[in-house]
Parts: sequence; structure tokens; C-alpha cells
Amino acid sequence: MILAILLGAPLTAMLLALVLPARAGGRAAAASAVVSIAAAVALWTSVSRGEVAAVGGVLRADALSTLLVLCIAVVAGLAAWVGPGLWGREDLQDSQIRRYVVFSNLFTFTMLGAVTVNNVGLMWVAIEATTIASAMLIPLRVSKPSVEASWKYILIGSVGIALAFVGTVLAYVDFAHHAGAREAALTWTVLLAAAPSLHPEVMRLAFVFLLVGYGTKAGLAPMHTWLPDAHAEAPAPLSAMMSGVLLAVALYAVMRWKAVVDLALPTPFTDELLVALGLLSLAIAGFSLVAQRNYKRMLAYSSIEHTGLTCLGLALGPLGAFAALLHLVNHSLVKSVMFLLSGRMYRRYRTTDLAGVTGLLRTMPVTGALFTAGMLAVVGLPPFGLFLSELALVRAGFARGRYGLMLVVLALLALAFISLVVHLNRMLHGPARAAVDRGEDDRLALVPLVVCLALVVVLGVVVPSPLARLLVMSAEILSR
Amino acid sequence: MTDLFSQFAVLGSSLSLLFAVFLLWRRSVGAYVTAFAWQSAVLAAVTAMVAHFGRDPQLYAVAAVFYLLKGVAVPALLRNMDRRFGPVREGEPYVNAAASVLVAGILVLVAHAVMRPIVAVSDLPTRAALPLAMGLVFVSLFVIVSRKKAVTQIIGFLMLENGITLLAVLGAYGVPLIVELGVFLDALMGFLVMQVFVYHIHETFESIDVDELSGLKH
Repeated sequence: MILAILLGAPLTAMLLALVLPARAGGRAAAASAVVSIAAAVALWTSVSRGEVAAVGGVLRADALSTLLVLCIAVVAGLAAWVGPGLWGREDLQDSQIRRYVVFSNLFTFTMLGAVTVNNVGLMWVAIEATTIASAMLIPLRVSKPSVEASWKYILIGSVGIALAFVGTVLAYVDFAHHAGAREAALTWTVLLAAAPSLHPEVMRLAFVFLLVGYGTKAGLAPMHTWLPDAHAEAPAPLSAMMSGVLLAVALYAVMRWKAVVDLALPTPFTDELLVALGLLSLAIAGFSLVAQRNYKRMLAYSSIEHTGLTCLGLALGPLGAFAALLHLVNHSLVKSVMFLLSGRMYRRYRTTDLAGVTGLLRTMPVTGALFTAGMLAVVGLPPFGLFLSELALVRAGFARGRYGLMLVVLALLALAFISLVVHLNRMLHGPARAAVDRGEDDRLALVPLVVCLALVVVLGVVVPSPLARLLVMSAEILSR
Repeated sequence: MTDLFSQFAVLGSSLSLLFAVFLLWRRSVGAYVTAFAWQSAVLAAVTAMVAHFGRDPQLYAVAAVFYLLKGVAVPALLRNMDRRFGPVREGEPYVNAAASVLVAGILVLVAHAVMRPIVAVSDLPTRAALPLAMGLVFVSLFVIVSRKKAVTQIIGFLMLENGITLLAVLGAYGVPLIVELGVFLDALMGFLVMQVFVYHIHETFESIDVDELSGLKH
């Protein structure tokens, strides 16, 4: 029932947006986002009691699903409340607003579907559908860069995700050989139960394809090349959803498969692959941040960095998995706020060049202050949540005796820290261009962003016990 | 009987692989579309054959839908696109024809090496053809990265999907039906969206050469 409401809300909003006038559609989407969040919280309370929500054999939500559902519902709600359709000041035409509302709700629906289906084949179908829905929105304003970015995104994304399907098929071939072809054969729970008897060599091969495939979608280096382009050219609320939760959904798929493959393999093969890709992502993102000239690309590379970090955490045992999941939640909240703020900045400054944005604190005092707070959170300073989760992650690494690895990670984090703070400093101060107006508009739209940042501060002081419980339950699913 | 089955499987897979390699030495997109349509037809035939020998009537339906979608509808849309842009020809590719065919040969060898564990595990009569299916996946990937026209990249991607279908049909007599349906839906939607983007590229860049798409860096 809860799952039906959860998935039904964005679908209803999408259908309403098709028939209603554009702005009414935007309001309907904002209302349905609230319903989604309520459903996600209801799911949270029922899962915390140890129940597993299921609809037939198709949908199934355990603690890990619920964690992702919460992130998706909150970020999608944030994007709906701050994005096009609700406020008067956009320079979009009605047809563009309608297209945005329709496809962004389809996007939300496919992401929610991906984390609540029990069948890993259908999970693949849903994740492939996220590419299609989100790619349609990147060229909302058709221009050379946006068309180029969307082509790169759909081609690299689709090819990557096709490789994940190769991995799925390989695993299925092995499963079908042991247990015979059955309709339920690609169900995650059935697969997990059969995992110890699966052939290690085949599962190893399958996992390589799965990691490369879903890793492409998650923005792991070296398959990350589509990500900065797509995030920079997409409308801000879509960038917020892609960076905040789409990357997490792709990682979720990796996590589900990792749980299966780990049971089939005698060696920590998956951990080593995750460490390699995670470290490479951290390194490439860190060095790309140094010479960044575009603030949306800067945020995008920072997302690659954090995805890499989450990936590393997943390879560091139960403690690491806990830290990684906490980090994922923190990053969802902060990065979606940052991209939404960058949208406000773009509307004022009309440029995405770092050099073009100066005197931010004077032109947009509230946006500037929030952007500063968000950036300090992104680089991992206390009292923000990312500080705690990065600390937990590094401690998990030390507890496993991976001292060298953790020192490299800390050095790369320091590199990202320095470059981001230097860029931030240049944006905040100095004289603004004369043509740029001062003051804030649509102040009410800032309220949800402030609430989200406040949540990140709370997470930086203490992890509330209901969330901690959900995280522990999720980490247990990943490391048994 | 099993012998015949196994030989047909290898024959069908070899043919589909050949149609992919065909892309590497021809230049006209019209010919690519024909190759793709033939490849899809062969694949549908392989699926129907597996349905016959494997006694799985569901697979007949999958074969029929597959043929209608990939063998008829998608090629028709591709031809339409080709006409709209005037007959498109690949210019000088990133890798020339002779080297490309050589690379394709190496990729098939790699596919054989990669698939060894699977072939060792499987006891289906179709197992000998599995490395060819993986070869098709690899060669299609190579087409996508080495060719410059957006339409050629789409055809490469469609062939990649065909390779995965072949892998599933030969390796496990097809994935569960519900997944198969989802995959068909995604394939169709994905293709339509890609087609929209090619029109976008054509309008904004006045060419469908992806070489032109080089504005975004760092």
C-alpha cells in the first residue's frame, strides 16, 4: 500500500502535467512530492520495525531500499519546490515548463522504481529508463553545448548500462545452469539465497561488467566523462536530482550485486575493484577541481569525488558500509542544495564561468551565505554531516589496517578542499559586474534549501537514532 | 539432433557477427541499416530455433516481437532518417578499414578468452556459440567508439543490444519474460530519444558528425 502510494505519486503528477496548464501542473507536482515524502517516511517507520514492505513478488523494500527512497523523495521534493513551475520568475515558456514537469516526474518514478523492485532485471530496466527520462531534459533550452552534453550522456549512459545488462545476463546464465530457468530467477532474494552455489569465475566476470556498467551511470572514473557535461548543461533542478540521487541509485545497483557476488567468491575481489575505481575517481576529480573554470562543472567533479569516496567506503567492511551510506545521505542533501543555488546564481549572473561570478555576498547575500555554508559542508568541515561521515569512513579504513590507502585518500581530500575553498573565495568577494542586480528574489524558494542545510548540520552533530538504525540495518544487508 | 542445434547456433551467431564487421569496411549508412536489419532477422531466426529445440513456446513470441521491432520498425525509422539527411556517408573514421577489421579479429579472440569460464560451466548445446555473441558485443562497442556519424553510433548501439539478446538466448534460452518485455520497451524508447537527439544535432550543428561535438572540455 505504502509502496503503491510512493510510486503512484510521481506517476499521477506526470499524467496531471500532461493535461493541466503548465503552471497548474507544476503545483500538482509540488503537491505530489509532499505525498511521496510522507509515503517515504511511513515506509521508514514500518521498515524500522523490522518489516519488509512487498507488493506481490515484484516490489520489495528493505532498509537499504528505504534509505534510497528517502533520499529520492526528499531531493525530488526539493527540486519540485524550487524548480520551474511554481515561481513566477523563470524565463521558460509554458511548453518547456510542461516538458520539465512531465519528464522530471517520470525520472523520479523510474528512480523510485529502481530501488523498490525485487528483480535485478527490472532494476536494470528502471535504471536504463532513468537515462531516457533525464536525457530528454538536458536540452530544455536547445543550444550547442546542451545538445552535445545530452548526446554524450545518452550514448555513454546507454552503452554503459548495456554492459551492466551483459553482467546481469552472465549471472543469469550461471544461475539458470544451477537452478534451471525460472520466472523468479532474477529476483534478488532468490539470487542471494543461491549465491553460495554460483560459479566464482563466472560471477567474477559478471561483476566486472556490472561494475563498469552501473559505475558509468554512477560517474566513477574512468567512465565519468559524460557527467560534468551533463550536470553543467542540465537545468539546475535536474542537475540537483542527477547529482543528489541518480548517482546514488546507480551505486545502489552495485551494492545489491556486490552482496550477491561476495557470497559466491572466496576472495574480497569486489572490494579490490571498488577501491581501485573509488581511488581513481577521487584522484581524477581532485586534480580536475584545481583548474576548474565553471562553477557547475566544479560541483559536478565534486560529485565524482564523493561517489568515489562512497565506493571506497563500501569496500571497507561493515563499518565502512555504514560510513558510506551515511555519506551518501549527506551528499544527496548538500549537493542538491548546491545545484539549486547554482541555478539561482545563473539566473542572476547569466554565466556559468567562475570568473564571471564575483561579489556574490554583496549581490545575493542569502544565496551567497547558503552557498558558502554548502561549500564548507562539501569540503568536509564540521559542523556539517559530511565531516562526520568522512571521519567514520577513514576510521573504518584504519580499523581494517589500510593505512596507506587512507593516507592517499586524505591527501586527495585535502587537494579538493584547497581548490574548492580557493574557488569559493574568488566567487564571494570582489566587485560584481555593473550589469548584475543586487538583492534576492523569490525569497520563499530559499526556505526548503535552508531546511535541508539545517538537516546537514544536525547530521554533523549527531546521527538521530531512527536514521542510525536504518543505516545499521542497511549495512547489515550489504555485509553478511 | 543436438549436433544440428549446436551447428545452427554457431552459424547464426557467426552471421550476426559478420554483419557487425561489415560496418567496419563499408562507408554508406544505407548499407549499415541493411546489415542491421539482416542481423536482426538472423537473430530472430536463432531465437525461434532455440524455441524449437529447447521446447519453449514463449520464445516464439519473443522472436516475433524482436523481428517486428528490430528487423522491421527500427530499420524503417533509420532509413527515414538517412533519407532526411541525404544519404549519409562515413568520412575517414578514427581507425581505417584494414586496421578496424584486424581489431575486430582481436576482439573476437579476446571474447573467446573472456567467455572461457562460462563455456566451461554451461552444458547447453548452444554453448559453443557464446564467445561469438560476446564478440558481437565487443565489435559493436568498437564501432561506437571509432565511427563519427551519430547515426552510425546508434546502429552500433543497436547491434550491441542485439549481441546481449543473443548472449541471453544462447546462454539461458532467454531472460524471464517480464524482464524481456521491459528490455523491449527500453530499447524502443531509447532509440526514439536518440533519434530526437540526432535531429537536434542536425539542427544546431548542421551536420551529424560527432567530431563537431567538441565544445565541452574540462
